[in-house]
Amino acid sequence: MRAINIPRDGLPVTTARDMARDDSISGRFTLKTEVVVIGSGAGGSMVAWELARAGRQVLVVEAGPYHPSSAFTEHLGDTMTEIYREQAAQLNATADVLFPEGACVGGSTVIGACVMQQPPDSVLRRWSGELGLKNLAPDVIKPLFEEVGREQYVHLNDAHEINTTAHKVIQGCERMGFSWKPVSRNVRQCALTGHCLAGCPSDRKMSALVTHLPWAVGHGARVMADTEVTRVLIRNGRAYGVEAVVRDPRTRQKVADLRIDAEVVVAAGGAIQTPLLLQRSEIPDVSGQLGKNLAVQPFVQVLARFREELHGFRGALVGVEIDEFIETDGYMFFSALAEPEQLMIQGNQGAGPDHINFMKSYKHLAGLNAFAVDEGRGEVKWKGSHTDGRKVISWNPSRSEFEKLKHGAALASRVFFAAGAEEIYLPSFQRLSAPSVFDLDARLDEITYGVRGMYSLRINSFSSHGTCRMGVDRYQAVTNARGEVYDVKGLFVADASLLPEPMASAPHWTVQTLAKQVAQGIHARGQELFLKG
Amino acid sequence: MNNNNLPTAGLEPLTRRGFLRAATLTGMALTAGCASLGGRRTPNGEAVYAHLSEEEARVLTRLTEILLPTEQFGLPSSTGEVPTVANINDMAGDMAPQTRDLMAMVLWIFERRPMASFRFSRFTRLDDEEALRYVRAMQSGTFFERGLMTTLHTAVCVNYWRDSRTWPGLDYHGPVTGIWGVRRLGNAPMPTA
Ligand SMILES: Cc1cc2nc3c(=O)[nH]c(=O)nc-3n(C[C@H](O)[C@H](O)[C@H](O)COP(=O)(O)OP(=O)(O)OC[C@H]3O[C@@H](n4cnc5c(N)ncnc54)[C@H](O)[C@@H]3O)c2cc1C
Repeated sequence: MRAINIPRDGLPVTTARDMARDDSISGRFTLKTEVVVIGSGAGGSMVAWELARAGRQVLVVEAGPYHPSSAFTEHLGDTMTEIYREQAAQLNATADVLFPEGACVGGSTVIGACVMQQPPDSVLRRWSGELGLKNLAPDVIKPLFEEVGREQYVHLNDAHEINTTAHKVIQGCERMGFSWKPVSRNVRQCALTGHCLAGCPSDRKMSALVTHLPWAVGHGARVMADTEVTRVLIRNGRAYGVEAVVRDPRTRQKVADLRIDAEVVVAAGGAIQTPLLLQRSEIPDVSGQLGKNLAVQPFVQVLARFREELHGFRGALVGVEIDEFIETDGYMFFSALAEPEQLMIQGNQGAGPDHINFMKSYKHLAGLNAFAVDEGRGEVKWKGSHTDGRKVISWNPSRSEFEKLKHGAALASRVFFAAGAEEIYLPSFQRLSAPSVFDLDARLDEITYGVRGMYSLRINSFSSHGTCRMGVDRYQAVTNARGEVYDVKGLFVADASLLPEPMASAPHWTVQTLAKQVAQGIHARGQELFLKG
Repeated sequence: MNNNNLPTAGLEPLTRRGFLRAATLTGMALTAGCASLGGRRTPNGEAVYAHLSEEEARVLTRLTEILLPTEQFGLPSSTGEVPTVANINDMAGDMAPQTRDLMAMVLWIFERRPMASFRFSRFTRLDDEEALRYVRAMQSGTFFERGLMTTLHTAVCVNYWRDSRTWPGLDYHGPVTGIWGVRRLGNAPMPTA
């Protein structure tokens, strides 16, 4: 019997600093393990736990730094600087859509907004029926969803977790006759600080930092931070390890080159980084789909000013959702209002006194994020050599995606006007606001598609997926239903890249459920995949 | 707003490619570290900007005054108390060389762009009212003018409002976990099978 020691607080992580101090580590070194997991976010942490508890030797390598919860300052500016990829400046090729991601031990789960949703059964039935992915049939996958839900302490927000911003959304929905419900979140005893996007210093958010990673470590998994995998090693159609670079997170100086020999390689770098890694690794891409089918769940934020003071930034960040349109139109709406910096990012364009007056009205503001399901036509591409190249994220709204987002903004505005808003700030590159519902359409008409929808609506994406989609046809998909890359035995994907189609539900829960399924599949094939069976 | 009254007509278009490259700075505007809020000063109190040229610092300072006339509103000064430009300077120091070059280009264009419409004046030589009109004209201009303006607007405003000294003026509470004495829970217990 093995002793299971889960750290009570924090994680034992090997960092670049540790490696720089270790005399036994030279500029180049090699490690050996049964399973190497690339990335420690939603997918990677789940795989690490599942396989470690099944008795496998697991090494998790994470490109980002280790930032324990105790080090969080609840300051969005600090957090962006330290643990958001490219300091929150990851953009599409035309530099007008933001793709924030966590780049730290725990990945995006550390900075997530805690919304947990399962795809509706109708979606799962489509995936299992029309797409032939029997492993996603509701009766097969639902028990796994439930298991993940328990692991994540998912619960429906209680009354005290619904703040004033959310109450305005409820009021508006009641008047408009729209269906709404409290959001389900993965939080244990939420302290209602409103700082989710800056990391949770009291360990209440069930990020991978306090759940699956410490559990994996308890079962013997090791975690290395500041270590970016640059290439998956493949010989004769079989993955046999990875190459990585260890860098000091502050100076960006290289500390060491590393090679990890492994019997199973699991790529869990997220839907933007995983396809880039596999492209750099020149994996056979029979389907030509690697990096394609990028779905982004684009969203825009509508801000509303009310006469009364709301202090809408207090309390649980996300309180309620409008679920009226998810199944019919693929729209999701979540109430939320974060920190002052966020207002800049989301789109206030005022100058001089207008800008100051807008900021001064912060305590009177409420926010509603309007998400639309997109068509999954984006692409992630690595250009140039594997060492010196660069990534290109291609996603601009098509005309119909643009119209959908605009319609989403219109619906969100109407909900707020119905709740008594005095002014609505529209999420555009122009400075646009509407003082009443009667002016709304005219103002919205000023937001035009223009050239490929560029610099038009201010669009964000937190939820990229689909770039290594799973499928039963090797000519249409990058991985099979078990998450194994076609034609590369022993190379698995276990992150948001796997999602077979654009979906209109917050992805975290689905990503973890798929990762659990992939890990259990690897375990079940132990004889075939591992030397010691 | 009636765009016809604004001086967009004479603004010569940027090349699209140049603009798109310049717009990557919108994101970079978020990158200044909080550790660097202090800025650096000479013994006689003058700000020294290691990563901004004199002209760049002048343009950014003027833009900060125009976008953030804070003192009239009882907020900490955007050019004195809160070192907005020093923060942008630190951000510039962290930028990849290529991105830094682009910031130089954006500022160069922004400074000279009003010449056609404002009696051959540069941005820094416009009076307050004209400078504000120019900024607004850019905000409602062509798609690349909007993008360029958004880039600079974001750089300036993020680097002001991220300073916690600005928050009391907004009645924003800032960090609360410490103040409220919220206990850390540590790692979640592992689920039992
Ligand atoms: C600000 C924000 C808020 C969000 N809020 C929600 C929400 O409320 N609800 C929800 O459902 N979803 C939310 N999401 C999305 C959700 O977090 C992601 O869908 C989910 O975490 C994806 O999991 P993943 O495993 O694919 O990637 P991630 O969790 O992002 O993890 C990937 C990890 O891999 C690392 N990595 C990448 N490449 C390499 C490499 N080459 N070598 C080593 N390591 C590498 C990265 O640094 C990162 O840490 C949010 C995302 C963001 C950014």
